[in-house]
Amino acid sequence: MDDQGCPRCKTTKYRNPSLKLMVNVCGHTLCENCVEMLFVRGSGNCVQCDTPLRKSNFRVQLFEDPAVDKEVEIRKKVLKIYNKRDFDFPGLREYNDFLEQVEDIVFNLTNNIDVENTKLRMEQYQKENRDLIQRNKVKLSREHEDLEELLLQEQQGNEQRRLDLLQEEQRQLQAKRKNKQALLDELEKSQLPATILLAQHKVRAAKLETQIEQQKLAVKPTNLFSTGIHMRQTVSLQPVPKIEEVLYQYKALHVETYGPLVPELEQLGRLGYLNHVRAAMPQDTAGGYTSALACHRAVQDAFSGMFVFKR
Amino acid sequence: MFHNSSQGKYWIWKNEDEIEQKRCKANLKFRNKILESGKPGLSESSFMERHEEDVLFRHYERRMMDFCNAFKPAMPKSVVGTAIMYFRRFYLFNSIMEYHPRIIMLTCAYLSCKVDEFNVSSTQFVGNLLQETPAGQERVLEQILEFELLLIQQLKFHLVVHNPYRPMEGLLIDLKTRYPALENPESLRKSADDFLTQATITDAGLLFPPSQIALTAILNSASRAGLSMESYLNECLGMKEDKETLSKMYESMRRMKTILKKYELPKPEEVNTYKRKLERIHAEFATSSNKRKRGYEEDGHVTKEPRLTEEIMSDEDMS
Repeated sequence: MDDQGCPRCKTTKYRNPSLKLMVNVCGHTLCENCVEMLFVRGSGNCVQCDTPLRKSNFRVQLFEDPAVDKEVEIRKKVLKIYNKRDFDFPGLREYNDFLEQVEDIVFNLTNNIDVENTKLRMEQYQKENRDLIQRNKVKLSREHEDLEELLLQEQQGNEQRRLDLLQEEQRQLQAKRKNKQALLDELEKSQLPATILLAQHKVRAAKLETQIEQQKLAVKPTNLFSTGIHMRQTVSLQPVPKIEEVLYQYKALHVETYGPLVPELEQLGRLGYLNHVRAAMPQDTAGGYTSALACHRAVQDAFSGMFVFKR
Repeated sequence: MFHNSSQGKYWIWKNEDEIEQKRCKANLKFRNKILESGKPGLSESSFMERHEEDVLFRHYERRMMDFCNAFKPAMPKSVVGTAIMYFRRFYLFNSIMEYHPRIIMLTCAYLSCKVDEFNVSSTQFVGNLLQETPAGQERVLEQILEFELLLIQQLKFHLVVHNPYRPMEGLLIDLKTRYPALENPESLRKSADDFLTQATITDAGLLFPPSQIALTAILNSASRAGLSMESYLNECLGMKEDKETLSKMYESMRRMKTILKKYELPKPEEVNTYKRKLERIHAEFATSSNKRKRGYEEDGHVTKEPRLTEEIMSDEDMS
């Protein structure tokens, strides 16, 4: 079950790694060899469901589940007819209804539910919307062409660049070779001592080297990024103006309680306050309660406003 | 905390005279309102005097306290304290002739249960009115709900009340921790508690911060037991360097004790006389009142059964 195989000759991918499974409109698989054998005449019936098939309609199975291949095929077909797009509808609601209808048809055809009726529905739709379908088809193909042209342009550009680079490299190699040859010639003919000639050559070679470097640096200026954004667009690189403000300084909150100083919550235990309150039960602590909280509140209340004298 | 509470900002007055003035003003306001309405046969004597109001006020306050203490499930002290504070705050600006204390006191208790997180349902609450029939309880509940919003409004929406009970606990903890000179701080609790209970039914809560009341309660309890705690004030509360604060503190304590001493129980015969007078006033001046109530009824808040029974509340002027 795990292994995919041809239902007719029972070969599996495990036994024959080069096995090529094919699938036709009915969604049933056959291996390439069986297809060759059974459909010598160009047409025949499916081994599993007896649907009349044509050899030319066999495709290589792309998905593990042949039903998916079938669905893809059907969807392609349906979308050729149901090719309306969102701006052909007055609102989102109608467009969504249309999409749902398409999905229904695809589902029905894939799962062989009510095939006849569905096909009838499709035909009727095709009749009713002939013009629109045609128009959309044209539009779609035009868009396709545009896209392909763009891709082509890009490819050509890449090729051009590659050739340029190659030529350049060859020129440089030649220049170097010439330089070497010149040195040999000079060593042969000149009366000057060899050391001087060598030194001269070194200087020349270095010059050549820098020339090449410079050429490399001076890349042909383009004014387009690969993303299609124009270079040297006036993008302000200036930093966002900073707002000068006086830094916030934290001041501890001072609460006037009009009474004696209340010990901090954390210190209650150290100061011994907690020895005089009921300890918190384990079940009380689940909610975050500690006896210190109650104790602190009581002491706070005891001192709060003690020195308020309204007279 | 008290120091930044609405209680500290708006509900602590300078002295008793200031409070008394407010009550007189409330009394006068009601008289003027009725007099302006121009009813025939009115005289000054048909209204209640301030001291008469005061007797009845104290009477109803005690009744409220009894009600709260008999409440089932047992009501925490802070809830009772809050309820009484509401009651006192409410009648600072309103006369008992205008709003009958019988219903206001229940409303105060009901509201304080809610605010102080003492969870009782409204039916459970009126279930504590033992002398009432279930139908009567229902009626009282309607009235409570009707007055609740008015009460909240008259309290200026300041609903948190700081009672002196927690400060007292805090002081006891502090005493045990920092003042080992005092051998058994717990022995002070009983008498200090009594002091606080007594203080709730006086104006002390409207004059002094709760921490001062608690401190006074403890020091009072200590001095009764023959203990001096001056060193606690000096050393632990840091009043040694601040003689002015110390003297002010003693002055406050003295005033508080005087206020508590001055409190006298309302005499039953007086109460009965004034009660009759109050009922008469409410029966007589409850005419122009139905406007608001009808509004409630239209809203469907209140059932439309007639409410004017002798035993339960009479209609009152709500506007």
